[in-house]
Amino acid sequence: MYSKQTILKNLTGLHARPASEFVACAKSFESKVTVRRLDVDGAPEANAKSIIKILAQGLSVNTPIEISADGPDEHAAVEKLVELIDSKFGED
Amino acid sequence: MRILKGNPVSRGIALAKGYIYRAFKADVHESYFEPGQEAVKYKQFTDAVAAAEAELNAIVTSLSAESPEKAKIFTAHIEILNDEEVAEGVKDMIFSSRAMPDYAVDMVFSEFALLLEKAKDPLIAARSADLRDVRNRVLRILKGEKEQNLANLREKVVVVAHDLLPSDTATLDRAHVMGIITEVGGATSHTAILAQSYKIPAVLGVPEATEIVHNGDMVILDALKGQVLLEPDRATIAEYEAKLEEFLKSEKQSAEFLNRIPLVASGERFSVGLNIGTTEPDEGFKYVDFVGLFRTEIVYMESEHMPTEDEQFAAYRKVLANAMGNPVTLRTLDIGGDKTLRYLALPKEDNPFLGNRALRLCLDMPEMFKTQLRAALRASAFGPMQIMFPMVGTMDDIRAGNAAVEEAKAELRAEGIPFDEKINIGIMIEIPSIAMIADMAAKETDFASVGTNDLTQYLHAVDRMNPKLTNYYQSSSPAMFRILGRIFKEYNEAGKPISVCGELAGDPLAAIVLFGLGLRKFSMNASNIAHVKRTLSLFTLAETEQIAKKVINMETQADVEAYLKTEVAKREQKPIAITTK
Repeated sequence: MYSKQTILKNLTGLHARPASEFVACAKSFESKVTVRRLDVDGAPEANAKSIIKILAQGLSVNTPIEISADGPDEHAAVEKLVELIDSKFGED
Repeated sequence: MRILKGNPVSRGIALAKGYIYRAFKADVHESYFEPGQEAVKYKQFTDAVAAAEAELNAIVTSLSAESPEKAKIFTAHIEILNDEEVAEGVKDMIFSSRAMPDYAVDMVFSEFALLLEKAKDPLIAARSADLRDVRNRVLRILKGEKEQNLANLREKVVVVAHDLLPSDTATLDRAHVMGIITEVGGATSHTAILAQSYKIPAVLGVPEATEIVHNGDMVILDALKGQVLLEPDRATIAEYEAKLEEFLKSEKQSAEFLNRIPLVASGERFSVGLNIGTTEPDEGFKYVDFVGLFRTEIVYMESEHMPTEDEQFAAYRKVLANAMGNPVTLRTLDIGGDKTLRYLALPKEDNPFLGNRALRLCLDMPEMFKTQLRAALRASAFGPMQIMFPMVGTMDDIRAGNAAVEEAKAELRAEGIPFDEKINIGIMIEIPSIAMIADMAAKETDFASVGTNDLTQYLHAVDRMNPKLTNYYQSSSPAMFRILGRIFKEYNEAGKPISVCGELAGDPLAAIVLFGLGLRKFSMNASNIAHVKRTLSLFTLAETEQIAKKVINMETQADVEAYLKTEVAKREQKPIAITTK
């Protein structure tokens, strides 16, 4: 199990195209990957490989989140997804 | 041979095979299977998903080149279809509860759709419509029913449907749809407007058409008389082939008037405008003096989310660039009633046509309204444009609309963004209450345009979507001409431009009366331009005034129509078919 925290910096948040890219990236790893928002108490862990669950989180710009992975490529998965979020998905 | 009757809303004749278009209706019940069937049932589900993905890929491929925006909708559907949690949920219901695959799919998708609906962000909530769409696709495949859409037809057909939704028509294959028959819908329904603008012959309000016509049957569609002929014999087919040729010839004859300067026989000039419902180039721009109605709904309907200010700005600039210098009347968003947006969930209303629609809805959603007004104002820096509000009923409405414009202007000024400071702001007159105080409305508006479709609906208290009521929907009634005469008089006296952009302006017979009542600006669909120019060229100003005077004192619409037909026939050298509704 490996986790890392970050903040969504792109204006769209995890909606629309960025959400699609995020889920596609998560799916390229074997590990189980989850996302949890840190600004709401008791927020559920959402399956990062489910576009619907990710959208349902309503993760907008400036939301702090934690990405966790559990499995053979957990380290690479978390690092890659955090990198994608920090790249702002090519926005602005 | 069998003859069905209906309402001819878009003139023309078509001979082609019938194509029954039936939107799939999911009919799922809670049901379970016997133990031991788990693997078989699960395979049914995964096979259905694979088949659905193949269908969606084909749609994306076919749309990618021409309409990448529409293709995106279906790419998003593939993503939903392949959602890991959906697949897990269905699998779990099949293996743990032995739920039948269709029941499991329905349950899981519905649960997820509800989850999205609860999202605070309306853009996300709107995605639940996509989930339901994907669910229906999978359920349809599980039921073994074939895919139906109108985007990719293999041969020329006459489409037969209960009704066509804006989402069906957005992807309509124009090269292969020769005619349209629907069970519901009148002269001013969405389908009628679409058929006219694409020049597709259409007969609407044909009860049980989808039950009576069979797929692949030869159908003759006579959208001059309002008839559908089934199982025609050879003689009838030959007769209609000749009629089609004759019709095309008469269209050509009138077409010679397309280019003419619009004048009545005594030499007075009138203006012809074009109504548009797309942002694409339109041949009609060449033959008109102005764009009397640009329906901005298309910008919202073609998008999968609420269009942003920049997206709208780009769309409006595109229209101005295409309009060949014609001033464009941009009508602000007119939804509610029969027009909805897939991503905007509106509460169901008992009387949607009397409900929270058009300007009312925009005033109720000020952020959405302001986004559109800012986009429109920004576009006004790039070409002649005016802004018009739909569904205005009171002076309060006019003032609220104007205030919203002023607020958007003030913002743009503060941000240093250019726009046309002198832009004209006007109203649609389609509610009798504003027509009755047109003198006052004229003082606080720069112009007005009469929407005769809704005005008829509200003046006659007739739901224009109800096929049982087509005889009650009388847009050429003496009552209509009386109220129109009053509106024209008040605006003309105030020196403010007045036009008609409803169906009546494009009806050659009614146009004679409108001219006689003082109207000089007629805005219509491209297909009516030549007919109106030609018919009005047969009359002098004094004649139209006499005719108008007579008409407003007649007792019934039937009297009016018979009288106008006789007056036209008297002046026709070579009679050609001038058809009205």
